[in-house]
Amino acid sequence: MSGVAIVDYGINNVRSVRNAVEYCGFDPIVTHEADAIADASHVILPGVGAFGDAMINIRARGIDELLERHVREKGKPFLAVCLGMQLLANSSEEHTDDGVLHRGLGWFDADVVRLMPNDPALKIPHMGWNMVAKERSHPILSNIRENNLAFYFVHSFAMRCHQSGDVVGYAQYGQQVTAIIAKDNVVATQFHPEKSQDSGIELMSNFLRWHP
Amino acid sequence: MLKKRLIPKFLLRDGRLVKYTRFFENERAAGNPVTTAKVYNDYGVDELIVLDIVPSAASRSRVVEIIERMSEEIFMPFTVGGGVKTLDDVNMLLRAGADKVSVNSEAVRRPEFLREAARTFGDQCMTVSIDYKRISPNHASVFIDGGREHVALDPIEWAQRCEDLHCGEVLLGSIDRDGTMSGYDLDLIHKAANVLSVPLIVSGGCGSLQHAIDALEAGASAVAISSMFLFTDHSPIKLRSHLFSRGLDVRASFSSRN
Repeated sequence: MSGVAIVDYGINNVRSVRNAVEYCGFDPIVTHEADAIADASHVILPGVGAFGDAMINIRARGIDELLERHVREKGKPFLAVCLGMQLLANSSEEHTDDGVLHRGLGWFDADVVRLMPNDPALKIPHMGWNMVAKERSHPILSNIRENNLAFYFVHSFAMRCHQSGDVVGYAQYGQQVTAIIAKDNVVATQFHPEKSQDSGIELMSNFLRWHP
Repeated sequence: MLKKRLIPKFLLRDGRLVKYTRFFENERAAGNPVTTAKVYNDYGVDELIVLDIVPSAASRSRVVEIIERMSEEIFMPFTVGGGVKTLDDVNMLLRAGADKVSVNSEAVRRPEFLREAARTFGDQCMTVSIDYKRISPNHASVFIDGGREHVALDPIEWAQRCEDLHCGEVLLGSIDRDGTMSGYDLDLIHKAANVLSVPLIVSGGCGSLQHAIDALEAGASAVAISSMFLFTDHSPIKLRSHLFSRGLDVRASFSSRN
């Protein structure tokens, strides 16, 4: 086992995720090659951009099948970030023409829906530092005190989980915002740990040392 | 709810950190931007703003290199600007590691550019930077090109127009107060915060812990600070602890994390 695979599905900037992995003392490789993903100790699915385009690229490169085999069947530790987390849902309503939902990877019984804060003064996107309140503990949060669970968010859509046991933490932004989900060897954050300073680096470092 | 932010503002001239008073007077060298940024990172600031104040093709490549180096060791949002005129400029800075790009003069000259950039890269990527001076006691006006050119725009009206053009946030800077450490322009901040719905970052005049409190209580979402952090013993960690203890909604301080 060597290195940390950062899945490359054609989005243009994974620099900060790669830098954060290096900073934590691990060896990142940005890739969509089967061998590299098979060899990696941990896999990260980053995410910036639009849901529909991302799924088209993932299917075109066969990444969905690679992840199915190495993450879901073989149990490799897996972290998905922001749009990467949303891709794990059944579907997304982001930029749907004609009302047909985009289909996701379906690893979580969840849908991705537009943020609708109950206060009209709250802007979309939800952008900035927000607190995450824990629903339960998880190894990626170990050693992070509750009043330091502040993370950097930038998003307009969010995941709505149908199994409450999948949710590790929520943020509040005029509504409940799913912030961290986890199941078995899979964990995902709506916020960007690679932009969340000490708490984010601690979280990534916990993930990279996690062997579920 | 979103936290109020403390943001050191870096001015670069040929890749060196500099600081002036009222934009032109009293130039002081303020060190190496990358090492200074690392110090602020250890202090747990929320974000960094980096502006190239004498932009050229040569300085752009220096800025790109500086941002790349910062993003290797500093994990927080960066806003970068100075001489941004094209979509390629925006793209180059985002690829270097910027999360947001600040546009100033070009937005005034060509408002459509702001809309185009927001459409291409997302509203959240585009910050509009507005510098203004009081030209009479009750009248403020926008200046572009680093404070050299006066344009007949009211800063608050211009900020509202930028919001309509889909900027993600507004960085509002008082030229009169820049580097003076005499306090923020609270009256204008209050008015601007009341009419804008995008986050308002204020700049120009912070010289004490109380000044930062005043600006945040006047409605600013974030305070941009340079002189006070560079030239006084009020560090970001001291300011954060002070704001936190006074009940302002900022992230808990680094020192209380253990």
